[in-house]
Amino acid sequence: MEKYFDINYLWTALPQLLPYLWITLFVAALAVIFGSLLGLLIAVFKLSKNRFLRFIANSYITIMRCTPSIVLLFLVYYGVPAFSDYFFGIYLQDVSTGVFVVITFSLQFAAMMAEVIRSAYLSVDKGQYEAAVSVGLTPFQAYRRIIFPQAVVIALPNFGNGLISVLQEGALAYTIGFIDIVGKANLIIANNYNTHTLEIYIALAVFYWILSIAIEKFFGKLEKVFSKGQRSLKTS
Amino acid sequence: MDSSLINVEFLIDTFFVALSGVPIALLVTVVALAIALPIGFFLALTRINEIPVLNGFTKVYVSFVRGTPIIIQIFVLYSILPLILSRIFEQYNIDFPIYDVNPLWYAFIIFSFNTGATLVEVFRSALKTVSAGQLEAAYSVGLSTAQAYRRIVIPQMLVSAMPNLCTATINLIKATSLGYAISLQEITLKAKVAANVGYNYLEAYIDIFIVYLILCITVEYLFKVAEKRLSRYKALATA
Repeated sequence: MEKYFDINYLWTALPQLLPYLWITLFVAALAVIFGSLLGLLIAVFKLSKNRFLRFIANSYITIMRCTPSIVLLFLVYYGVPAFSDYFFGIYLQDVSTGVFVVITFSLQFAAMMAEVIRSAYLSVDKGQYEAAVSVGLTPFQAYRRIIFPQAVVIALPNFGNGLISVLQEGALAYTIGFIDIVGKANLIIANNYNTHTLEIYIALAVFYWILSIAIEKFFGKLEKVFSKGQRSLKTS
Repeated sequence: MDSSLINVEFLIDTFFVALSGVPIALLVTVVALAIALPIGFFLALTRINEIPVLNGFTKVYVSFVRGTPIIIQIFVLYSILPLILSRIFEQYNIDFPIYDVNPLWYAFIIFSFNTGATLVEVFRSALKTVSAGQLEAAYSVGLSTAQAYRRIVIPQMLVSAMPNLCTATINLIKATSLGYAISLQEITLKAKVAANVGYNYLEAYIDIFIVYLILCITVEYLFKVAEKRLSRYKALATA
């Protein structure tokens, strides 16, 4: 009974898990890239004057906000192959589970990003655009050189939070059999006949905790660097 | 209609199976909120007033909960709690079957633990929106600290906390879907078990999806109503 919890086991577990951390990070990175692109599209829909497009964007965001990650994950995992098989005759059963993980978290991240992008865009003063156009920039130039850089700075903290949250939600990928860091942890536990469960889980918690703090610190620094020389009333 | 894609009959039957998990999900949500609200509020006060030891403890607690996925928190708590409790019971020779406890109790503890940390941040930012002058004014007209908080600070704070409270509640409801990890008989697990028989997983998850959507939209609506009612305190708060 004394040996039930063995802190030393933690040190042997960490190096076993470490290689799988990259898989977790890789999947999160892909989800962030695809999710940001889709999020931009949805933000454009939401800002558009077309009522139908706005309705689509709002419904999408509401649905994503209301669906637990695990439910979305399984809907994609069972739904996408079934639909593609039924409607297009494309057989997707052999596709790597990683693909479904990326699809799920891209969809989820897109909803978060749509809100982030929209609020960042709206917070840039309209006068900035007018001023840019009045000095002779084309609308595209005005967006690229004036609006975009300012919006990015405003979006940074929320983007960082989104990143942390997509990383954490990604911990559920193991439920569809994807072997990332959590999947590997469960394999190790199974190989040990379910002993040392707690040590492995604590190791997992430590990984995620460090990662989240690092991302938070990084975005804090980034924000400071980018907002240098900005004359705004951001005192709070 | 050769419905090889979706078994409509199963879809309808399982919808009610999923629906039967709603009371458990809501019970866990309500109990966890009832425990987490006071904890979150008092820990937020310790953060704001910078009370020596508690402030540091709260910082670590909030950082841990925000820094780790809920599923990992469930894993850790679910394996550490029986360990600690069995030690204590052994010490005092209490004969208690710790490994046969209803998972509901674990759910209460785990989700309160998680939501408590979220609410610390919600209340902390909400408390900051109430100007210090409000408390001073309350004191100067002779209210005690408890009265001042109950009648002056908290109503104003709630106005700005409402949207974040709504988000926290919805996240909590969503998080109960992870109850499968402790074999809690809630929406997701019930529907999934029903699907095990004929491998109708797609239908089951569509049902689960719809149930959560209904729950979430209802909660959002209720919060909107509550927010409107509370906003009568707002006129003075932002004056």
